[in-house]
Amino acid sequence: MTEILAEGVVKAFGRTRVLDGVDLAVPRGELWGVVGADGAGKTTLLRCIAGLLEVDAGRVLPGRPGQSRLGFSQQGFHLYSDLTVDENVAFIGRLYGLDRATLRASAEELLAFAGLSDRGTSLAGELSGGMQQKLTLVCSLLHRPPILLLDEPTTGVDPLSRLEFWDLVEHLHAAGSTVLFASAYFDEVERCDRTVYLDHGRVVAAGTPDELRGDHATLEEAFLELTS
Amino acid sequence: MQRLSSLVRKEFIEIRRDRRTLALIVGVPLLLLVVFGYAANFEVQHIATELVEHDSPPVREALSANGHFTVRARVVPDIAAAENDIQHGQVAVAVVVDAQGVPTQVFIDGSNLLIATTAERELTALQHASSGAPHAHVVILYNPTLSSTDFMIPGLIGIIMTQVALVLTALGVVRERERGTIEQLMITPVTKLELMVGKTIPYLIIALFDLVFVLLVSRFLFGVHVRGDVALLFGEAFLFLTATLGMGLMISTLARTQLQATQMSVFVQLPQMLLSGLIFPLAAMPWGVRWISYLLPLTYFAAVARGVMLKGVGITDLWTETIALAVLAVAYVGLAAVRFRKTLD
Repeated sequence: MTEILAEGVVKAFGRTRVLDGVDLAVPRGELWGVVGADGAGKTTLLRCIAGLLEVDAGRVLPGRPGQSRLGFSQQGFHLYSDLTVDENVAFIGRLYGLDRATLRASAEELLAFAGLSDRGTSLAGELSGGMQQKLTLVCSLLHRPPILLLDEPTTGVDPLSRLEFWDLVEHLHAAGSTVLFASAYFDEVERCDRTVYLDHGRVVAAGTPDELRGDHATLEEAFLELTS
Repeated sequence: MQRLSSLVRKEFIEIRRDRRTLALIVGVPLLLLVVFGYAANFEVQHIATELVEHDSPPVREALSANGHFTVRARVVPDIAAAENDIQHGQVAVAVVVDAQGVPTQVFIDGSNLLIATTAERELTALQHASSGAPHAHVVILYNPTLSSTDFMIPGLIGIIMTQVALVLTALGVVRERERGTIEQLMITPVTKLELMVGKTIPYLIIALFDLVFVLLVSRFLFGVHVRGDVALLFGEAFLFLTATLGMGLMISTLARTQLQATQMSVFVQLPQMLLSGLIFPLAAMPWGVRWISYLLPLTYFAAVARGVMLKGVGITDLWTETIALAVLAVAYVGLAAVRFRKTLD
């Protein structure tokens, strides 16, 4: 069953067509990656799928924000720097309507997994980039969404934090979540069930990492050959 | 030198491309200068005046010829009726005339300082001009010493609440947008209406707390009492704040940065101070700018605050202002809600 869908999606900003007929369908429980250069349309695609942007043409799923089934971790840090980790978590959890006990249990487990248990009273603005990214992910998972969108979640994050971050994502994937993430790093999409190459708003290739690599040494080389 | 010129050039390029800020830098001072050039008029005319007990064509003629007074055709029967008219804002001056047609006493509404001082000055001049006539005794009501503190504090309460409701609301929403947190909120099940109301309620509470604080300071530091119903003052303040919060939300939908929001707030606050009748009476303003006054919540709240605090009037005398505040509250919040929804889409 398809959980995340983009069907002939077109999106333009002014005269610039950022997405030009994008198709992808992520079945339940799979981990998919969208990879491409800066400006390829990765963020726009995920925002359309989340329903934060209206598409000009085509169809998306879930396509509507504010659903308890969807978790969306956006690019960059979009939580409250002047609130502590615990306050951010409590605030977002209450917006999802979680009761006190559920919120506490969910927050404790996720913060522990993200290695943030001992930073509960730290101001979010004082955390490192990697910790902020993990906090963003924790907040988007509090309500235990079965569908997860991650937009360049490790950009600007140090290598160790990246590894810890992917441990967390793979744990969610193993638990049955459907995950679609966008990334500019080709090594990250090695972890995916399937990968989509996006270039100038179009899907230029899609398949498992092995299929996409083909005879090339790396996914990056294969991508460069396709887009050159 | 090359480095310096490069920095200056870069600044001008940024300013030129930031059209909202550019419009505020150039347009606002120009607009303020023109509007306030007309509005800043200390010369009050058309002071509503009535004769008490007896009519007197010479007195009526002298007052009308002076140019500052507009004398009502009706003569009120006694001093109690005249005081009632002044309390309810029907007239600002009541001249008691005896059976011989001689003015014996003058009552002046002291709740509006500029009107009261102008009326007192012109009446004194008239009496000096009619040598030999007995001088009428002048009684200033509500603010006998013509204290500027008594006059200003009720209006200043409105200014202080405007500061909180307008600026903080506008900044609060724009800050969310600048930091990108508003998008994080839109992912959650929170509705646009909840977001709008949730962003404004804290500032409404803070502004009402400010009202309590300012009333206490006015009472114990400046000796300005609330003669009327405090609950009525709070009810009117609620309407006033709702309208002002609506204006703050409107600004938040127009501004892209906190700097722009601050500049726009100043653009809205200055007219509130200068065109609301707080300093210059509305009657002294030409219609070219007076219509702006009628769109400002402070115009009505300043009148309400002065009425309740200085004159002790009740709701029966404040219907016009109350309805105006309610209409402005609905209009500004409604417009803000529509724009707020659009900017989030």
